[in-house]
Amino acid sequence: MVDKLVTEVLLHPLGIYVLALAAGFLVPLFDRAHRGSAILVFLAALAGMVAIAAINLLAILNGAAPIEIETAGIAPPFSINLRFGLYEGGFVLAVNGIALLGALHWLPSLRQHASALLLYLIMVMGINGMVMTRDLFNLFIFIEITSIATYALIGMERTGSVLAAGFKYIVATSVASAFFLLGTIFLYYLTGTLNIDGMVAQRELISGPVGFIATLFILTSLLIELKPYPANGWGLDVYETAPGGIAALISVGVSAGVFFALFKTLPLLDDYLLSIAVVGGATFLVSNLIGLKQDNAKRLLGYSSIGQMGLLTLALAATAQLDVEAQLPLIVGGLFINHLLAKAGLFWLADLVNRKSIGDWSVLAGRPLLLLVFGILLAALVGLPPFPGFWAKWLLVMEMASGGLYGWIAVILLGSLLEAAYLFRWFTQALQARKTDAPDSISPGKLAPVALTTLLLFAAGYGMAVQLETDTLAMFLPLFAGAALWLLDSLPGRLKSLLMLVMVAAGGAWLTLDLEGLNRIFGYILVGGGVLVSLATQYRGDARKGFYPLLAILLLSLATLLRAHTSLAFFFSWELMTLSSYLLITLGRNGVKPSLTYLLFSLAAAYCILAGFALAYAATGSIELAALGGAGDTTGLVFSLLAAGFVIKTGALGMHIWVPGAYGEADDDFSALLSAVVSKAAIFGLLLVAAQLGVRSDIGLDPAYVLGWIGMLTATFGALMAVFQEDVKRLLAYSSMGQLGYIVTGIALMSHLGWVAALYMTVNHFLFKGILFLAIAGVIVRTNERLMYKMGGLIKNMPFTFVATMIAIIAMSGVPPLTGFGGKWLLFNAIMEKGWYWLAALAFFSSAVAFLYMFRLLQTVFLGQRKLEHAQLREAPVILLVPQFVLIGIIMVFSAYPKLLLDPLSTAISPWLGGNLVWDGLALQTHLGYWNAPMIMGVVAGVWMVPLIFLLLMTLTLKIQKVEQFNIVFAAERPHRPEETHFAYNFFAHYDRALGFLVKPRATAFWNSTVEWSHSLAASLRIFYNGNGQTYALHIVIYLVALYVVNGGLQL
Amino acid sequence: MSFLADMQISLIVLCSGLGLILIGLWGILTQRNIIRMIVGFSLLDTGIHMVMVSIGYVTGGTAPIINDAVPMAEATSRIVDPVPSALVLTAIVIGLGVTAVMLSYAVRIYRARKTLMIDECTESKW
Repeated sequence: MVDKLVTEVLLHPLGIYVLALAAGFLVPLFDRAHRGSAILVFLAALAGMVAIAAINLLAILNGAAPIEIETAGIAPPFSINLRFGLYEGGFVLAVNGIALLGALHWLPSLRQHASALLLYLIMVMGINGMVMTRDLFNLFIFIEITSIATYALIGMERTGSVLAAGFKYIVATSVASAFFLLGTIFLYYLTGTLNIDGMVAQRELISGPVGFIATLFILTSLLIELKPYPANGWGLDVYETAPGGIAALISVGVSAGVFFALFKTLPLLDDYLLSIAVVGGATFLVSNLIGLKQDNAKRLLGYSSIGQMGLLTLALAATAQLDVEAQLPLIVGGLFINHLLAKAGLFWLADLVNRKSIGDWSVLAGRPLLLLVFGILLAALVGLPPFPGFWAKWLLVMEMASGGLYGWIAVILLGSLLEAAYLFRWFTQALQARKTDAPDSISPGKLAPVALTTLLLFAAGYGMAVQLETDTLAMFLPLFAGAALWLLDSLPGRLKSLLMLVMVAAGGAWLTLDLEGLNRIFGYILVGGGVLVSLATQYRGDARKGFYPLLAILLLSLATLLRAHTSLAFFFSWELMTLSSYLLITLGRNGVKPSLTYLLFSLAAAYCILAGFALAYAATGSIELAALGGAGDTTGLVFSLLAAGFVIKTGALGMHIWVPGAYGEADDDFSALLSAVVSKAAIFGLLLVAAQLGVRSDIGLDPAYVLGWIGMLTATFGALMAVFQEDVKRLLAYSSMGQLGYIVTGIALMSHLGWVAALYMTVNHFLFKGILFLAIAGVIVRTNERLMYKMGGLIKNMPFTFVATMIAIIAMSGVPPLTGFGGKWLLFNAIMEKGWYWLAALAFFSSAVAFLYMFRLLQTVFLGQRKLEHAQLREAPVILLVPQFVLIGIIMVFSAYPKLLLDPLSTAISPWLGGNLVWDGLALQTHLGYWNAPMIMGVVAGVWMVPLIFLLLMTLTLKIQKVEQFNIVFAAERPHRPEETHFAYNFFAHYDRALGFLVKPRATAFWNSTVEWSHSLAASLRIFYNGNGQTYALHIVIYLVALYVVNGGLQL
Repeated sequence: MSFLADMQISLIVLCSGLGLILIGLWGILTQRNIIRMIVGFSLLDTGIHMVMVSIGYVTGGTAPIINDAVPMAEATSRIVDPVPSALVLTAIVIGLGVTAVMLSYAVRIYRARKTLMIDECTESKW
């Protein structure tokens, strides 16, 4: 009996309205007595509304039937009925939950007027009604109830600009509601009912001119309320001026109600699906483009809100068009909950930070907790993993691809990229501290609602991953490790470094030790190599806030990347890797600005990859990576998209402008990881794609030839650009770009030998570039310089670093006896075997150029004259040297016995590209010749030993004059002159005159003008927003007319 | 003749309702004074109410009371549809609420900005 009372009366969904209305009466009453008690009633009512929604939704999730609510005990159509099913429950719970959090956030302002509390309750109740009602006129009532409460809440703020914005909002929404009412009455005229289900059941009656006009009015009204471009200036003004508390509720709450109204009336509007999709897609794309020009934080959030509602609208129309009802909760629900939490959190954060211009958000710099919260919310909004938006966008793109809606995929990906551009530009501003900043203190209590939204985002993302039946635990392991280290972030730096190493080693081993073939080889490089190079992080004793958690996420996401069996798991790890490496670059000395370029290029690459996976899914119906090969006719396109994504990530020519900044400005030890280890993930991806697509289907050759040229041109120009650098880290950055170019060419050869060469060079590049970046880290930590002409003669201070550098450089160059020779030898053999002679010639040329910059590095840093101020420098820290010498040891072993390396590589490749290496004893045979590494090693040692012994004898027997530093008989430079006359400055001036025209920054100029054009386009697209409320009302009327015309109204 | 006159009643109401809607819209779009815009909105609202009433009207119909005068079987053809009238009542109340809020905005805007001209309230833009 009591049970029945509780479930059927107290917890019935109607209780939501009862609570809101009852509290509405009680709040003023209690307020007479005591304001505090009124607030208690208010919060209790909201909490009750959340609880009722949660309990009923849970029951439905556990299999209970949807709750049909009939008012006055009469069945529809003679009464108004409401429904609480799965969708309604989800929306209502989300809205009430966010309303409760929003009330907590906004309480300091809300509590000043008891009427504000009342209005807030009414507004939330109105949204609940919009979601639950099944009666069209009742829907109108709830829209109006919500609107009036919203108007009044906006009007609580009495400043001129808020009132002006509010009035524009009233005019626009009133006109839209008028359309809704007209549409409703016409539909009633046609069908004789106000019940939506009744109308749907008599869909055939809604036809002819009246039917057309009626549905057009409903459609226009709902679309306008969702703020479509360009009829949305009134919404933007409110978002910009109103307090974050109300702006958030409009953006996520009211919009949710209207969106649900569109969802439930969609069966009546099925003639307009294309219009709905176009309106949504255009709004998403254009708002995100215009966002690029916006500097006002809240208006920026407005553009983002409008864009996200556009995306939701597009998703709704697309799922209806494609008839994939089963995916609706994940796609639309995922996008909805993602936007709800992220946008509400951002609006509230904007309240707390209280800075108008995004430039002034620099007050957040150096405040880890705030930055973390801010970053999570932005990442969620962009649709990065692990948040719900990521999964939803993935599903949406996949479903669109299988439905053939390729144009829409392009719209979604381009819009997402633009959104990422302005949101992370904002984050960039927040990272850069300025001297004038006077930060307000934000108490943890005030931050709690915002922080809670981030936790809910994680939970929702995890829930969606489970729902999608991914290998969730393994995929989220990097994040768990990162979270654990973040909680320990106040420990000393070296201890954290150690913990990180242990975690990554253990986690990485667990994730990758059961892998086989190519994945296992990359497991050694990415995880084993990652841990080895990360050992160097011990050289810095400072706290490095945030560094170690992010590094753990990065390295473990590389491990999960290797484990991925599905394109979803692969893309998840890929994006996680992108995000964590981006954040790590921001931690570098001047890393903030270059990191943005890095992120945008990486995201563009990721979206190419996503598009490729989507096309493959459309062709094969499977997200298994192993099924990629069955893509049929689209194989060439899939291959091109995926390969494009991966080569952007290797810094291919034209897409390379992120390379010098990212590698150059990251922390020195992290540069080593980035170049030696992380860049190999792109090589892994490229190999995977080439293996699954380029080989299995025979048509993949043409893109492969293009890829070969891209690789070799990258190698050539990377080397050329490296030659003319003064900054040692930028030199190494361009060098990495060039070396990866060779590897890309090797993969593009699509032959057994070509792939052996590519893999061999991959391992080799990991080995020597790890040494070089760590050696340079040692030089920088001692000299505090990065410009090579400011160094010199360091061989005396840092002999071990010098030896390591020299060996790395020999291992990099194509000369015997070290590993570099083998790589070049294999590559030339493979190219000649293929008959790509021009590429071989270019490879030869770029190897020679590479020699120039290597020589410069060694000569100007370690040889020549030492600077006076460097006389007292010590050798680099031992912990930096340890990984370098371990790597040298590996180089030596592989140089002497390349079979140890080559045989496993060859075996790993053979499932894909048949063939094996022919060994004659220890000599590798090809049809062009043979390579006997141990013998070469011996010969070289012999050739060098003879003059060495001779010189040794000379020094012992002859009288040698020691040359002091300023004895210019010896020196090739003139001391005591300005630095510009230093011989190491503009070292290759003569080559610059000959070849410099090749390396003019054309790509940089191109991308700069792309940015400029986008901004001009954005400026011309926002001319509609002139701030005049009447113009905005006119936009709405024109919208109606435009929808009338494009849907064939002129033919009536 | 009486048939024509009867038909014209609902048609006249419908047409004048639509006319009022257009006049109201015209007012909202062209009158820069906020008070005049609100008047325009009221006209628009009233126009909609007239359209609603005209839709439910049955020519020559009687009050929607089923009794001896109007037997059940003839109800649908002889009585005026009561639902639109009921809706209009609700819509009037809502229109009243919106108009009241608009007017209070007008008062506050005038207090805050010392102007009632909508084109002087354009500082939020782009």
